[in-house]
Amino acid sequence: MDSDKKKKINRRTFLKGTASTAIAGSAVVTAGCKAKGLLGSSEAFALEFQEYFKKHYRLMTKAEREGTVARLEKLARLKQNITINVDTTEPVEKVLYGYAFNVTRCEGYMECVEACVKENNLDRKSNTQYIRIFEMEHGQMSPDQGDGKYFHMVPAEGHFYMGVQCFQCQNPPCVKACPTKATWMEPDGIVVVDYDWCIGCRYCMAACPYWGRRFNWNQPEIPKEEITKEQHYLGNRKRVKGMMEKCTFCIQRSRKGKLTACAEACPTGARVFGNLLDPDSEIRFVLENKKVYRLKEDLGTDPKFWYFID
Amino acid sequence: MKRPTSRKSLFCILPFCIILGLLVLFPVLVAFSNQQGVASKVKKATQKLDKQGQVKISIPVPKNIVKVNEEYQGGVFFTEARKTEIKRFRCSSCHNNKKVTILNAADISHADIQVIHGDKGKPLACDTCHSQDDRDFLVTSKGSKIDLDHVYDMCGQCHFRQKKDWIGGAHGKRVTYWAGERVVKNCTSCHNPHSPRFEKRWPQTYSVPHN
Repeated sequence: MDSDKKKKINRRTFLKGTASTAIAGSAVVTAGCKAKGLLGSSEAFALEFQEYFKKHYRLMTKAEREGTVARLEKLARLKQNITINVDTTEPVEKVLYGYAFNVTRCEGYMECVEACVKENNLDRKSNTQYIRIFEMEHGQMSPDQGDGKYFHMVPAEGHFYMGVQCFQCQNPPCVKACPTKATWMEPDGIVVVDYDWCIGCRYCMAACPYWGRRFNWNQPEIPKEEITKEQHYLGNRKRVKGMMEKCTFCIQRSRKGKLTACAEACPTGARVFGNLLDPDSEIRFVLENKKVYRLKEDLGTDPKFWYFID
Repeated sequence: MKRPTSRKSLFCILPFCIILGLLVLFPVLVAFSNQQGVASKVKKATQKLDKQGQVKISIPVPKNIVKVNEEYQGGVFFTEARKTEIKRFRCSSCHNNKKVTILNAADISHADIQVIHGDKGKPLACDTCHSQDDRDFLVTSKGSKIDLDHVYDMCGQCHFRQKKDWIGGAHGKRVTYWAGERVVKNCTSCHNPHSPRFEKRWPQTYSVPHN
């Protein structure tokens, strides 16, 4: 048959061959050069080179994941002299994360914003923040009428506060927009980004109706002593210039049973985080007993983030 | 001449029509069944989950907690203890019938406490909450003594709506973990019982204008 003739070389085998020769070649090249030249240490160079040939996170086998984690941890030790712990904890079964925000209780102290920046290793140079708190007058409904850059004593008379972040939509438009499948929804409902597969086209940013995604316009800068060492591959690990990032409900914390950094930092208890599939959870109590609403519900994005009033 | 209407050909078309109709209907049905989203998922999940089994790491239970005398959605839960947080507890070590023998008694009297609690017309007095007979306890308006650890029973007399929300989980907050044993903050963990409203203060940080 025809297929027997075509077996010589196709695109897949060609790419596989070049990749493996490149890795082998890099090992030979980097083993040979011992001098610490422009490229830093040769070991770091070799590791970075190997990082270029890893797969998409969802296609990696367990061994491959362990390999890239080991490389990332080693690189952090070599380049920044810090010991980090990158984990790849799988989603917990029978868990779907949900969030509720009490607009009556929030006083606008913005402690959640600061906790988020610290926990998720956000860029301090461009002042990247996942959460935005809007100061709104009583009677306003949508945050685009509110003031997102207030700075005065809070709470102000006649105002209420509304926090906005990624809503982890169950029907996420950002995922559909991504041309490289670098962003997807995990089984526990968290929309994540594989930073190494993101090409920085920012289509997802345009697709998101909530301004829930952030772009690294510059190389992120974080003071060494402030870096959160407990990291997740899909969460708060190191990002570089030209990558998209977003709130992941603190995937490195929530998958271990902890509250997200914002919920833990909130001094007024306006933030409720929990498992939507657990009938005993607090989030379920809120959904069943309180007046709840979601932002731009008519768009059909089905966010897992509810606002409620007392 | 009148052409005979071909009933036979109509019967031939009918099965094709049915198949075509099903082909159109099926994707529409599938699309609609997928559209219910999170709300239907939540409604379907009625099975109780094992608290510890959800997350496969051991979740430490914080120290200094007490079991709450109420039940939430059919389960027991815990709250932060209060007595260990009060520096000079037991109160009866000073408030007793003996002579005051402490040197700096004037300094450690409660003159610094300001009560901003209750209506403006009739603010609360000390003995609205504190028992005069037994200083180590609080007392309700009906005269039953309440342990300081179970202060929620005291607050719940007036703030019954908040207490109901607190039991369910819409008021107050959990301590550290969403999984595992439910441990929540006590009323007095967040509110100063003498002036419970949160103070006006500067925000912790600021947001830069985008665009």
